[in-house]
Amino acid sequence: MTEFNPTILAFCCNWCSYAGADLAGVSRLQMPPNVHVIRVMCSASVKPEYVFKALSEGIDGVLVLGCHIGDCHYLTGNHRTAKRFPLAQKILNDVGIDERRLKLDWVSAAEGEKFQTVITDFVSQIKQLGPNPLREVRF
Amino acid sequence: MNDLGKKLTKMAFEDLKADYLLVVRQEHGDLAPAFISKDEDVGEVRFDAPYQLVTVLSRIYPHIPTGKIAIVSRKCDELAINELTKRGILDEKRIVKIGLACDGHTADKCRCPDPKPSKVDIGEPVKGIPEDPLVAKLMKMTLEDRLKYWVRQFKKCNKCFGCTANCPVCFCENQCVLGERTLVSEKSIPPGLAFHLVRSFHMSDKCIECGECERACPGDIPLLALRRMVHADMKEMYKFVPGDPKTVSPLLTTLEGEVMEDEHNVC
Amino acid sequence: MSTMSVRHVLTTCPFCGCGCNFYLQAVGNKLVGVVPDKSDVISQGRLCIKGYNAHAFVQHPDRLIHPLIKEGSGFRKATWDEALDRIVSEIKRISAKYGPDSIAVFSSAKCTNEENYLMQKIARAAVGTNNIDHCARLCHASTVAGLVYSFGSGAMTNSIPEFENANCLLVTGSNTLETHPLIGARMLRAIYGGAKAIVIDPRETALSRVAHMSLHQKPGTDIAWINGMARIIIEEKLYDKEFVETKTAFFDEFSKAVSEYTPEKVEEITGIPKDKIVEAARLYAKSDKAMIAYSMGVTQHSNGTEIVKALANLALLTGHIGKESTGVNPLRGQNNVQGACDAGALPNFYPGYQLVANAEVKSKFEKAWGKPLSDKVGLPMTVALQLAAEGKIKAIISFGENAMMSDADITHVQKGFERLEFFAAVDIFPTETTKFAHVILPAACYAEKDGTFTNTDRKVRRVRKAVDAPGEALPDWKIACELGKRFGAPGFDFKSPSEIMDELASVAPPYAGISFDRLENEILTWPCTAKDQTGAKILHVGGFKIGKGQFALSKHAPPAEETSEEYPLILSTGRNLFQYHTGTMTRRSPNLEREAPEPYVEINNEDARALGISEGDRVRVTTRRGSIAPVARVTDRILKGVLFIPFHYAEAAANMLTNPALDAAAKIPEYKVCAAKVEKA
Repeated sequence: MTEFNPTILAFCCNWCSYAGADLAGVSRLQMPPNVHVIRVMCSASVKPEYVFKALSEGIDGVLVLGCHIGDCHYLTGNHRTAKRFPLAQKILNDVGIDERRLKLDWVSAAEGEKFQTVITDFVSQIKQLGPNPLREVRF
Repeated sequence: MNDLGKKLTKMAFEDLKADYLLVVRQEHGDLAPAFISKDEDVGEVRFDAPYQLVTVLSRIYPHIPTGKIAIVSRKCDELAINELTKRGILDEKRIVKIGLACDGHTADKCRCPDPKPSKVDIGEPVKGIPEDPLVAKLMKMTLEDRLKYWVRQFKKCNKCFGCTANCPVCFCENQCVLGERTLVSEKSIPPGLAFHLVRSFHMSDKCIECGECERACPGDIPLLALRRMVHADMKEMYKFVPGDPKTVSPLLTTLEGEVMEDEHNVC
Repeated sequence: MSTMSVRHVLTTCPFCGCGCNFYLQAVGNKLVGVVPDKSDVISQGRLCIKGYNAHAFVQHPDRLIHPLIKEGSGFRKATWDEALDRIVSEIKRISAKYGPDSIAVFSSAKCTNEENYLMQKIARAAVGTNNIDHCARLCHASTVAGLVYSFGSGAMTNSIPEFENANCLLVTGSNTLETHPLIGARMLRAIYGGAKAIVIDPRETALSRVAHMSLHQKPGTDIAWINGMARIIIEEKLYDKEFVETKTAFFDEFSKAVSEYTPEKVEEITGIPKDKIVEAARLYAKSDKAMIAYSMGVTQHSNGTEIVKALANLALLTGHIGKESTGVNPLRGQNNVQGACDAGALPNFYPGYQLVANAEVKSKFEKAWGKPLSDKVGLPMTVALQLAAEGKIKAIISFGENAMMSDADITHVQKGFERLEFFAAVDIFPTETTKFAHVILPAACYAEKDGTFTNTDRKVRRVRKAVDAPGEALPDWKIACELGKRFGAPGFDFKSPSEIMDELASVAPPYAGISFDRLENEILTWPCTAKDQTGAKILHVGGFKIGKGQFALSKHAPPAEETSEEYPLILSTGRNLFQYHTGTMTRRSPNLEREAPEPYVEINNEDARALGISEGDRVRVTTRRGSIAPVARVTDRILKGVLFIPFHYAEAAANMLTNPALDAAAKIPEYKVCAAKVEKA
């Protein structure tokens, strides 16, 4: 039985979480290799459309990482994110996709270790959930 | 002109001093929307088919620069008008509502929980259906079964865009995100699940559950059930119900509830 | 304050043969949108994406608005008088010099019944020839030829709403959810309600994916699997013995003829697994509400007529005809291709399918029209264009036909147009064809005139004027009247389309009970032979007007052009959901053009890999006729060895490549099979 190797996207905002990712890398912190990091200027520019598209095409998990509330480079950008993604998760649940495949978290530029933890935990969560059932669905 | 027509003509043009009246009437043996002005005969007015008059109005409205418009509005029309005036799409000073209480038959067809407008000018109000049986059935299913159900339904989608064309609160006309090739590739019929997820998200803070999307779907996809499920989520998470004339959507406010600028007419 | 006039006008869709009704919304003289008709019997308040955008092209700036006369390498504006007089004088001159049969008139399946009636009257009573035809020649000519033999009538035998209640659907050569969305919608209801659909198509279409059985046959092998099914039904005694004995002829010959199509042989010829053929045959025969639906995949072959007859054989064998939710249902692709045939725009039939070669019929029409008529059967459009290239047809008057995009082998068609001494084109937009005209007349479109269309299930539906035609454009019926009058022919003095319908009803028995008055409030289906009837929903109830239904001895034959080492792939052409035929209307509709803006070729992923082609690459597709460069769409939803190109795109016109081999009886081109090669561009 081959082990399931999930494919995961992580949208990281330029000012905080991407810097945190960098820090984790520079500090040589070990992380599973399944995560593809996509840098965006602000977590608010991650439209739910991208996430829905990713999941419906078979990506196993999507992480959205932004600045802590109050630290957003654009002031209220992450407020928008904070409002949208819990709703997006509920919509996934309504359609029958496990909402744990989408996760929102806050990681600052100094939190290299938090980044490592978030990634590692998410990958093992997704491994537990198994492959995205939409991989098998052909429309 | 039938009795209902006479009554409406008086109400709209004499009492409410409107310049136009939007109703549904009998024409060529079918039921047609009719947007008439003062001097026109309103004809045989009927309300047995649930036409979404606000959708009909929204396409005409940009071409009518002045004048007051009286619209026969059911509860759902009223809620739709609230959402559109809130977002500046319709000018509330120009719209006057003649409240129509739906009859039992119509309320059943729409599975409507509250078919009574805030002011009833025509019709006898009836009680709504408290719970949508399909939604109840879907929420009891396992995640796996629910996904199977929706995938089976969405395989029937033909990209007619009837759900958006007939939706009274859909106002993006020619800039709909669902038309973006990067999101929904041009090859797909049926389009994938993303199409429906995106639409659900965009409708989450606007949908007033008129059910027009479901009735307009050539694939008979139970879209109203999905809207109701998302509606319940919005209510639970943000205590927000669309259709209110004042409250701004939680997706357009900060965590403290401040309205973010220039957002109200973005979908 | 002056009030704006807002109208909701109930009319019929100008696109496919479903014939959905909807309301065109007009504010003043501007069309602003489409509202579905909730009480429409066909669409039930739903529409497809083309329907929702049916208003978009109407007031496009490209509309032809003045009569134009060729001058030098371009055109100059002319008055109506000058343009009409020029047409008539040229036609008269050519007729005097070469005879009236050197002239051909093409009418339009997109124009109304009234207009088609007048166009064939122009050809017959004004010009004096039976060379009148229209694009049914390119789509369902083989249906007419085939089903007239099998049943006595070429029309769809049952009605669209009945699809919902079928328990078995045999759908072949029809990508129903894309080409007839609202018929597809009824099929979906049946399928999701438990009906078993058998879809047989070289591609896996949207309908295939929800079907009970999805089978893929090599293009051009349909008679083999159809006969294979018939053989099983006979061998396993699943046929309706009583029906066959009392209502059909030639069963014994037929039974012998299909005996060689064993499941093994069928698999060898078609590629369909033998156990699937057996299963499909049993399913179709044993279901009591089994409907056959088919479209271009059956008709557009060099033996299309034989394929149609073979399908009809299945209905005759099982008795699945003349009853609710049964029958043989050709799905007609254009809004009024059924009506154009009904109104007599055919070289061998007068209005109402009365034979040109019949002396009694001829004298009846001579009396009705007040002019002597020719008894020589006319030329089908495809043959007329070939003869034009040979210099034997000297002049063409074409109403709303874009032959330079829609006919096979357009390089050759172009030679025909170039060689004509005179060509007059009537259209709503400038097209690839109007370029070759000597006179162009601007026509009104469906939203700007009154009339009727007859949809695929024989309902005669009203078209109503919503806005004024732009510039000087006139409805085709007015243009036809002006031409007829100038030719000096009697009977072109109509003040309204209603009057024209009255005349059509008086000469064509299937339309006898139809009038605009009745259409205001009633749904009328032809044949509607009296004013107190609403017409026949189902044809051939209780039996066939020709006495007995006839079995046909269709034999499998290879397509006209088979693959070779140089041209190893089979090219099939067709349509997609978003564009309509030659694209003159839909490519000018922003929402539709957005959905499918680019010409493409569907290629099987294994074939693509072998050729080094990836998704999105520009490729060159070549046949013996020509070469085009569309974009590649690599998919596993098409058989290995088969290519598919939609014919909507002028910049990569599929008909540069297609084979003009014609069906012997119907003269329909073989759009569905020719030999091609692909390489990276």
